[in-house]
Amino acid sequence: MKQHPLCTDTECEPDVLNLPVPSELRQEWAVLRTRRHFLGRTGKVLGWAAMASLLGDRVLSGDTRLQGAKGPADSQAAGPLKLPHFAPKAKRAIYLFMSGGPPQIDLLDYKPNLAALYDKDIPDSVRGGQQLTGMTAGQARFPIAPSHWAFKRYGKTGTWVSDLLPNTAQIVDDLTIIKSTNTEAINHEPAIMLMNTGNMNSGKPCLGAWLSYGLGSMNDNLPTFMVLQSKLNMKEDNQPVSSRLWGSGFLSSEYAGVGLRSQGDPVLYLSDPNGVSHEVRRNMLDAVNAINQQTSQELGDPETHARIAQYEMAYRMQTSVPELADLSKEPKSTWDLYGPDAKEPGTFAYNCLMARRMAERGVRFTQVYKRGWDVHGNVTGTLPMLCQETDRACYALVTDLKQRGLLDDTLVIWAGEFGRTVYSQGGLSPENYGRDHHPRCFTTWMTGGGVRTGITFGETDEYSYNVVKDPVTVRDFNATILHCLGIDHNKLTYKFQGLDQKLTGPTPASVVQGLLA
Amino acid sequence: MVKICPNRLGPNRIVQYKPRQPALVIGSICAGLLLSAAVGCHTGQSTGAIGHNTQHLDFNQDVQPILASNCFSCHGPDPEMRKAGLRLDLEESAFRKRPGHPDAIVPGHPDQSELIKRIESKDPHHLMPQSPQGEAKPMKPADIAVLKEWIKEGAVYRPHWAFDKPIRPALPAVAQNDNWTKNPIDDFILARLKKAGMHPSPEASKEVMIRRVTLDLTGLLPTPGEVRAFLKDPSPDAYEHLVDRLLAKPVYGEERARHWLDYARYADTYGIHLDNSRDIWPYRDYVIRSFNSNKPFDQFTIEQIAGDLLPAKNIDPLIASGYVRLGASSNEGGAIPEELRANIARERAEAYGATFMGLTVGCAVCHDHKYDPTSQKDFYALTAFFNNIDEKPFNGDRPVWTPVARIPKAANQEAYDRVVTKRSELAGQLASLRSQERVLISRWLASRQHLAQPVPTDKLDLRLRLDEGGGEILKNSAPHAQQASFTIGKFKPQWGETTWLWPDFRMDASTHIALGQTGDYEGNEAFSSGGWFMVRSAPNYTLDNATGALLSKMDTNQHNRGWDLSVEKGIVSVELVNEAPKGLKVPKTVAVPKPIVKKEGFEYPTPVDLTPKDLAPNKPPEKKSSPKKPEAKKEGAKTGEPKAPAPKPAEDTTPWVGIKVSATEPLPVDGHWRHIFFTYDGSGTASGVKIYVDGAPVGVTVVMNKLAQKTIRTQAPMQLGWRYPDADPARETRYQDIRLYGRALTPEEAKRLPFEDYAAEVISKPADKWSRDEWHAVSDFYFNNVDQSSIALQEQIQQLNTKLGKLSEAGDLTLVAWEKPSIPYANILTRGVYSARADRVEANTPHFLPALPSGEAHNRLALAKWTVSGDNPLTARVTVNRMWNEIFGAGLVETTEDFGIMGQRPSHPELLDWLAVEFRESGWDVKHMYKLMVMSATYRQSAKSTPEQLTADPKNLLLAHGPRFRMDAETLRDIALESSGLLVNTIGGPSAKTYQPANIWEQVSHNASDTLHYKQEHGDALYRRSMYSYWKRMAIMPDMDAFDAPMRDAACTRRQRTDTPLQALVTMNDVQWVEAARALAERVIREAGTNPQQRLQLMSELLLSHDPPAPMAAVLENSLAQMQKHYAADPKAAQELVGVGEKKRNESIPPAELAAWTMVASEMLNLDETVTK
Repeated sequence: MKQHPLCTDTECEPDVLNLPVPSELRQEWAVLRTRRHFLGRTGKVLGWAAMASLLGDRVLSGDTRLQGAKGPADSQAAGPLKLPHFAPKAKRAIYLFMSGGPPQIDLLDYKPNLAALYDKDIPDSVRGGQQLTGMTAGQARFPIAPSHWAFKRYGKTGTWVSDLLPNTAQIVDDLTIIKSTNTEAINHEPAIMLMNTGNMNSGKPCLGAWLSYGLGSMNDNLPTFMVLQSKLNMKEDNQPVSSRLWGSGFLSSEYAGVGLRSQGDPVLYLSDPNGVSHEVRRNMLDAVNAINQQTSQELGDPETHARIAQYEMAYRMQTSVPELADLSKEPKSTWDLYGPDAKEPGTFAYNCLMARRMAERGVRFTQVYKRGWDVHGNVTGTLPMLCQETDRACYALVTDLKQRGLLDDTLVIWAGEFGRTVYSQGGLSPENYGRDHHPRCFTTWMTGGGVRTGITFGETDEYSYNVVKDPVTVRDFNATILHCLGIDHNKLTYKFQGLDQKLTGPTPASVVQGLLA
Repeated sequence: MVKICPNRLGPNRIVQYKPRQPALVIGSICAGLLLSAAVGCHTGQSTGAIGHNTQHLDFNQDVQPILASNCFSCHGPDPEMRKAGLRLDLEESAFRKRPGHPDAIVPGHPDQSELIKRIESKDPHHLMPQSPQGEAKPMKPADIAVLKEWIKEGAVYRPHWAFDKPIRPALPAVAQNDNWTKNPIDDFILARLKKAGMHPSPEASKEVMIRRVTLDLTGLLPTPGEVRAFLKDPSPDAYEHLVDRLLAKPVYGEERARHWLDYARYADTYGIHLDNSRDIWPYRDYVIRSFNSNKPFDQFTIEQIAGDLLPAKNIDPLIASGYVRLGASSNEGGAIPEELRANIARERAEAYGATFMGLTVGCAVCHDHKYDPTSQKDFYALTAFFNNIDEKPFNGDRPVWTPVARIPKAANQEAYDRVVTKRSELAGQLASLRSQERVLISRWLASRQHLAQPVPTDKLDLRLRLDEGGGEILKNSAPHAQQASFTIGKFKPQWGETTWLWPDFRMDASTHIALGQTGDYEGNEAFSSGGWFMVRSAPNYTLDNATGALLSKMDTNQHNRGWDLSVEKGIVSVELVNEAPKGLKVPKTVAVPKPIVKKEGFEYPTPVDLTPKDLAPNKPPEKKSSPKKPEAKKEGAKTGEPKAPAPKPAEDTTPWVGIKVSATEPLPVDGHWRHIFFTYDGSGTASGVKIYVDGAPVGVTVVMNKLAQKTIRTQAPMQLGWRYPDADPARETRYQDIRLYGRALTPEEAKRLPFEDYAAEVISKPADKWSRDEWHAVSDFYFNNVDQSSIALQEQIQQLNTKLGKLSEAGDLTLVAWEKPSIPYANILTRGVYSARADRVEANTPHFLPALPSGEAHNRLALAKWTVSGDNPLTARVTVNRMWNEIFGAGLVETTEDFGIMGQRPSHPELLDWLAVEFRESGWDVKHMYKLMVMSATYRQSAKSTPEQLTADPKNLLLAHGPRFRMDAETLRDIALESSGLLVNTIGGPSAKTYQPANIWEQVSHNASDTLHYKQEHGDALYRRSMYSYWKRMAIMPDMDAFDAPMRDAACTRRQRTDTPLQALVTMNDVQWVEAARALAERVIREAGTNPQQRLQLMSELLLSHDPPAPMAAVLENSLAQMQKHYAADPKAAQELVGVGEKKRNESIPPAELAAWTMVASEMLNLDETVTK
């Protein structure tokens, strides 16, 4: 595995003793490293890798910090998390989440025979007794709406790609396209929750939180798991997202995603107030630390040590995050690759560029949300906008990672929460149509560390309605992602309410071997 | 002294638990355990399994946790997961012989017990326990040793500790001349410490004490004046007086309410999809009032669970019932009503389970609980209590999701209360009448007077009861049926969401029910048809989409020949057609009744004066800065056409040859069941058509009268919900008891049809054969139509309802619970899937807990009373444990939300029980309990910890020193505001929108959400206590979020307590905190004179309640000097810093000076000591 020069991941614990703290305290910490109870009171933690290494034993911290209802089961008995479970192909992941449900038929799931079936009703035999959403449930007809766009073959693989995705088309040989992804949820809230957290109801940790919990950080001045929201295009139908999607559920809240924002402070409250310079901040922290040190000596509360480290890490973030968000040193080639959109903070293109920068700096998991894919009507009006906003950026990110040697150990995932119907919602005309939610099949792709690229996996029937070969459930999808990161999805568990909870839930899931490199 | 309940020291009280005496020695294994086990709960078990070999193991404390975590998932309560037929959680099944299997447990003989052989096996295939994937997960040697010892001692099982009713234990013997203990709490704590070879710590200083207790009881800091007064008071009662004063302050109620809002899952938005705002803040204020008036906890509980069912003297119990409806709810356009309803009932049962029972009942949604005895049936029986509220399962994205109550303005309150009291009296009389239903109805039947008369079945051609509850076949129970049954088409209906006469039937998607040639009448033949309908019961229901054919024998392929009963924007019509244009459109020249937008016609508590504005979904506020208005488009509205024009069909110019009669007024928009029926006399003219709603004739307009003896017969089959073949669906409509008569029913018959006919059918059977539903139907008929006292009472109540509506005009609205008259039921859902309905179960409490009193209705009121009944083993324990958690930072049972088998064992079981009994016997006196806790010597200890204590008991569960932990999110912000003098402490009112960084809400919200844009308020709203901060579930206030405040999607009975760098960023940089630092600086400059030492002293007094110790003062003075130098040299920076925040600064202070002091204040605000209790 290649070590990227900028990546701070040295495969060993970062050394927190380099923190700019008084030397006597440093000595004390060195002693404490061997003591098991450092932060052991009511589940206190500092968060992120540095504190874990303060404990000298991440596993211990994994136990003491866990607020959740640890049953009488002694979870220490399970021993260390022993992660990764096997050599990971990917050390980090970037998840491009297309919220709303992209229409697979218009993008990557090419169905040439549909053209002849324009405005014909989809056969009952194909629909089966499926429960529809309330939105099309009352429709008298279910007329087939073939894609408005032409498809062409690209790459050595000769993969069919819609004219809407001219740039993605250039990297098809690097992609693992999964046409047989399918879900159990038909409405946004449960479906998006299921994709992100493995459960339709809220309250479960998301993929990123599980990764943070299981793998910890690769750097000591940026969060392990960061979330980027793309700017809204008000012409698109922006289904809501919420912090439940990047929450930590019953895991400690330190594992929740931290938002990297495009407006105002890149991390909430990061900037010093007007009139407070770096020097003033340092002075202020020196005073605070000195007094906290006195408190520590007087009361002997270990949490006071945690407080000192907490403030020092905040201070370091005040430098490292602006450096992350500062694009002024990006060369012209970057802009040539990502396009002009990337200069505008908050665009999807900008976020993709930030995702690459975070990958370089050892952020373990980056999730980029792009909302707006909920094309119930006016597909020909909205879909080109969505593709224009995302197509080049996806291409640029993958290409950029590849050029920098990061793609080998970075897993990139592109997915929404479900697909869309082949039949038109509302009226159908040669110029326009709408598509309702469709859980039975949708197309996703992955690339990078761990997956077999240049393949198309799974097949749908000629209506892009049912999966006919190699179905990939959401559980399988998540199990496969974890596998690429060196995690056995059955072993990354956390005892909560008496159960060994895991991302893939109680129903058996399997790693999709056909997707693996 | 603290008031203690009189019988607390009764010498002969039974001690429920064996003294937690050391139990056994397991050779060298124990030595390794000594450290953790000695302090208890470190590993969550074996608190007593150490020491001398004088006592037996305690099953609950020592053994069950090991069995539970290692064995129960395959050998526990859930039969689906059970392997080898072995069940270890129950004594009788553990010892049961299993043919072909060796005995799992042979009491007294670990060597012969298969259980021990398996856990010690060297063969990985044989070794237990195993993961579901079949991987062996060997147990710890210490645990194996405990199991062996337990079997050796006879393998004695005992019931789970938390399900036994707590009995007040005797106080443990502590040293005779011990002068440390101050109340019984201390006896238990001291005894336990001694057993662990530890000692309590000395009392904290008076400065520490006043700060600690003031924070705990009020969530605010003591003022320097209060501190000084306390320090000066030498009396031995000084501390108790202080506590009494604090308990009497209004801020006490706020602090307790702040915790309760987490338990009750209070929030200002619905939490799902649009996440729109809703009106329920009056509930929050009710909670504050209740704590301040020290409302007994049993009453507080009953009011919240079932306030709407209580005889009330004012509106408070009704407001309290909003508790039931606090959970998240949806209005997503495509959502399925049955699924939403199941989810809502489930959410409420889970919240109730967590807060009142301390059980994770939700684990039984899909299957029997894996560890606890909660069966799936128990769970659904519990949901049933919450499944009978008169509400739609979707919230309409409105701030008012009926039922709601309007709170009278102060001027009308007295009059309102008088009417409520009177109403309660009458409702009580009515209820007591109804409680005698068996006697009264038997008497009525025996009298044979005014018995319910059936409608003769003469020429009844079709009767679809639609009570099948599932399956493929609908039975036609009409005596003259042409066809005895009909097969449902490919697309299935939804069964059984809302019970009317029986669990119902809903047309779904493209459900097709073809009824053959039933109803093939000619235009000169008389006929009548109709039934019970709930029209359009789906999200975003409005009059506009209450449209479609309900019953139809009409062929759209033949110019709509035939007849039907339909609705159009809520207006019921009957059509007899020879031919007519598509959609039965009438020419514009013809007078058609225009739908009048009717108010929602609810009774008390929902006011009758809800305006269309009240009822309209909220719209997103426009943001001035955004260049374009968002094209707000709701998903529910999206069935319309795409923007590009669809091909327009040619206009249908077929002339009208037929009859069309329409009701003059639309049906109310309330989602209630309505009996809709028409009769036709065969005259061939419109005057021969009559329409009845709920048995009463309604006014009609003749729209068309042009049949002229032409035929209306067609070969198309009669259908439910569509005109043949698939036109004009009556979407999302529920059906029940559909009938078709080949004659015109008389008005008297039509009147009897909805209620009386059914009652008559039931009473034709002997009463002992009636089902509960049938009893209910007869009872309803009797009390609404026969029993004169009941009829009179109902009329009077109706008049009072109208009065209440008037008296509450223009008041604030709040969501409340309101019970339907039906019987609370739920269906067990196989694997939790809403459509997989299994057995129907009546509301009931879990089988392993005390039963509800016999003879009482199983409704929410019964549940509420049961919750606080003397026999309930859980509520008091769970509640005192949460109080303990609030005050001491960790519960006696650490898992405050789980007292089940997998929950932690109590660190001090006897103390927990003592407190629980004390609580109950004190009359559920909440203030008494907090007072007991803060008066204890345990609480008053110094928080200073020694390395020895840290080593022996890192979590301080044995309380060898006082509590010390980082304060909650709200408290931190509150003390910053308070110390700086910014706090505006008015109690109650709508939630406040304080400072928030830009683009928090926009990032997550739907375009059409009314919480898309955050509109910060100004002035006082910025400085109110944090408990009033607006709580948007999808994005809670980021400063609260950083400090582990929960989203309140679900009940949270204890918060996480993390320390992350993001928190330091809040308290250093958030404008609220910078402004507070500046205001604090101004305050000390203003109040403490010019001497820096005095200013620092005041700052320290304000925040820490003590003088700054010399080393601290030295650091601060040094820092001040640096800051002064810096800002003197950089006036611009100084100006900028002191300009942060909206509060105008004190212009008389030079900016450089103020800036320097602002930074010193910020230092003080960020100290570990400041942010820590």
